[in-house]
Amino acid sequence: MQETQVEQISSATPNSHLKMGLLRISKRNRPPYWMMFPALLLLIIIVVAPFFVGFYTSFTKLDQYTIANWTHAPFVGWKNYINAFTQGNALGASALQSVVVSIEFSVLTTIGITPIGIIAALLVNKPFRGQRWVRAMFLIPYVMPVFVNAITWRLLFMNGWGLIDRVLSALHLASKNTFWLIGPHSFWAMVIADIWSSWPFVYLMVLAGLQGISDDLYESANMDGASPFRSFFSITLPCLRPVLGLALLLSTLNHFNNFTLPFIMFGTPPAPQADVLPLNVYVTSFQTFNFGLGSAMSLITLVLMMIPAFFYIRKLRLGEES
Amino acid sequence: MNKKKALAKRGLVSVIGISLSSTMLLAGCGGSQASSSGSNGGSSSGGKDITLTLYEGKYTSNPQAQEDLFNNTLIPEFEKENPGFHIKFTIWGTASEENSTIQTSLATKQGPDIFELGTTFIPTAFSTNGFHVLSQQDWDAIGGQKKFFPGQLTMSGPSPDKYIGVPEYMQPFAMVYNKKLFAAAGITTPPTSWTEFVDDAKKMTNSSKDQWGTVFDPSDSFDPWKIGWGFTKQMGGDFLSKDLKSATLDSQESVNGLQFWFDWLTKYHIVSPNDLTYKSVDADKAFLNGHIGMLIMRSSTMMPALNKSAVKDDYAFAPMPTIPNGMKSMPTVGVPTQTIVSGQDFAIPNYVTGDRYQAALKFLKFLTDVKQQQEFFQTYGYLPVNLDTYQNDPSLNTDVIKAFVDAEKNATAIPFSGAWGNLEVVYGGVASKVANEIATNSYKDGDIATLLKAANTQVQSSLQQ
Repeated sequence: MQETQVEQISSATPNSHLKMGLLRISKRNRPPYWMMFPALLLLIIIVVAPFFVGFYTSFTKLDQYTIANWTHAPFVGWKNYINAFTQGNALGASALQSVVVSIEFSVLTTIGITPIGIIAALLVNKPFRGQRWVRAMFLIPYVMPVFVNAITWRLLFMNGWGLIDRVLSALHLASKNTFWLIGPHSFWAMVIADIWSSWPFVYLMVLAGLQGISDDLYESANMDGASPFRSFFSITLPCLRPVLGLALLLSTLNHFNNFTLPFIMFGTPPAPQADVLPLNVYVTSFQTFNFGLGSAMSLITLVLMMIPAFFYIRKLRLGEES
Repeated sequence: MNKKKALAKRGLVSVIGISLSSTMLLAGCGGSQASSSGSNGGSSSGGKDITLTLYEGKYTSNPQAQEDLFNNTLIPEFEKENPGFHIKFTIWGTASEENSTIQTSLATKQGPDIFELGTTFIPTAFSTNGFHVLSQQDWDAIGGQKKFFPGQLTMSGPSPDKYIGVPEYMQPFAMVYNKKLFAAAGITTPPTSWTEFVDDAKKMTNSSKDQWGTVFDPSDSFDPWKIGWGFTKQMGGDFLSKDLKSATLDSQESVNGLQFWFDWLTKYHIVSPNDLTYKSVDADKAFLNGHIGMLIMRSSTMMPALNKSAVKDDYAFAPMPTIPNGMKSMPTVGVPTQTIVSGQDFAIPNYVTGDRYQAALKFLKFLTDVKQQQEFFQTYGYLPVNLDTYQNDPSLNTDVIKAFVDAEKNATAIPFSGAWGNLEVVYGGVASKVANEIATNSYKDGDIATLLKAANTQVQSSLQQ
């Protein structure tokens, strides 16, 4: 009995030493997860906690009568979500109308800024005298505070005496009294102002992407007799696809969430045609004190935003597998 | 499967638990800004240093003058008189910013110690149950209710025993007119009825010279309801029923009131079509440039800008007309509303307690005493609410000021409902939509009634039953 035990111990000893050694190595090599704690804590405080508070609020009738004791606001189930989709709004657009306005706004501005950004990046990609200055100048609309940008465009679009109306009238393209800040034109005024201020984002991304394309590819194509046009479509665009994909996704999300520009350009209440969802959520929550409905509308925004993000992440993963 | 469900449930509970703990942690970290600390023997704060935060609206015409007044005069004076007390002066730039701060402060029970609130916001503030209802003892600490204009106190709370607001200054509204354009049109006295107003405005309108009898600002957030409510009251209607349980925005008087305002453009052509996009500031600018004959619903706070403008020698104030358009005298049910009870009040949130609360009351007494009220008037042109301020002060006994004080005596208080803030915004939305329709030629008869009906439903849902 004792012999068997000794045998077991002697035979087990080298293995267990090996295991202990491996354990020590693996412990040493294990990523220090605890170092993520501060980041996780911040994430919980800044993102997770407000999200759950918003989620909870969206199921309550939180208004001016209950704000001081918000944890006891009456529970109303899905009513706020139903109201968001069914209720009209005497104030501006309904939530559903605002979703449509926001989608149209984000898609159109993204479509607008993409070619401008690509062309601008291609223009300043090759070295030329004053290249740095031009590159810096292209960034001016992007670095200009949104507030200044919105006020400037508001003044430009004022009817009667605004520069846009004066120029259009001088060119016999429109009446001097065309309204841009109310009515259907307000949507286009918002799109134009946003395109002006945000195209450098695509320009920056594309310019960064262009730096990563090897000159060898263009040289080979040139030797094979490819025209610059052909090189652009067969080399530049395919190489830019990942960068451009990310730029378009981020641009769509940014424009969908644009609050400051319409808020400053039109004030509250905005024309229903320019009543984007973030502005509608703000007015509903903070001006008419309907925090429950505002929270429900915010969560609907979140779900809508997840759709393009989901497809993009899925596409990235497919890329990794291949 | 059940095990999976239990795990999932446990996971969800954990996440919510962590989230709520974090929120509490966050609240704990933020803590109260209440800084009653240290010992300072012989101080009037009972041996403790007390720092109060005052949250005031920005004086947009001259923010520097406001900062100088508080930081260089009022606060040092108060701190000198009351050792141990410290005042931190903070400002809000827009009504939206003010709203957000009030809401977050009440929800988190931390924030400024004294809020400056517009009188028409007091009903909403009262409905939150988030502000101190002032007791007789509290009023004694401030100097008693008798020190204030009685009309101004009607907006401090639903009844004298439930006041939350301490009047800071008053802002009765009147009409400012251009004497030069009046003389050129052969008009000798300001109109007293809206029929006369329209006739006079027609005489002064010359669209080829971009000169208009009057100006309106339907895209503004707040002017539409003030003007629309005034017209409605003069015709005998209101926006809410007397028991405050029903919205009456769709009443005939209310519809006629808003209709009359838009008739200035569509029927009488006494305002420029460009005004459809105007906000309050744009209307002011048009008057200051000398293109406008009459501008209604303006207070004495416009005087500093008027005195620097193209019309500095040509302007005068007069009470707004009270007799509805098309009538020769007030209808029997009508109220001769010249102005709403307007101005700013102070209110102390419930989370300010103990010594800090007493310190806040002391500071409010200081700000509403004669000397400080005079300083407010000299800096901003804000009319004092302290009755004694008008004794023996020649600058407060001019014809212009007397006209405003008279208007204050005839001011009408809005219904004291917690939904009034909501109603203001919704009514502004209706005015904006009508302007939108007119601008795009899609406006048709009956649209105002339809839009006010929808607004009425929305306001009704926000009334406390």
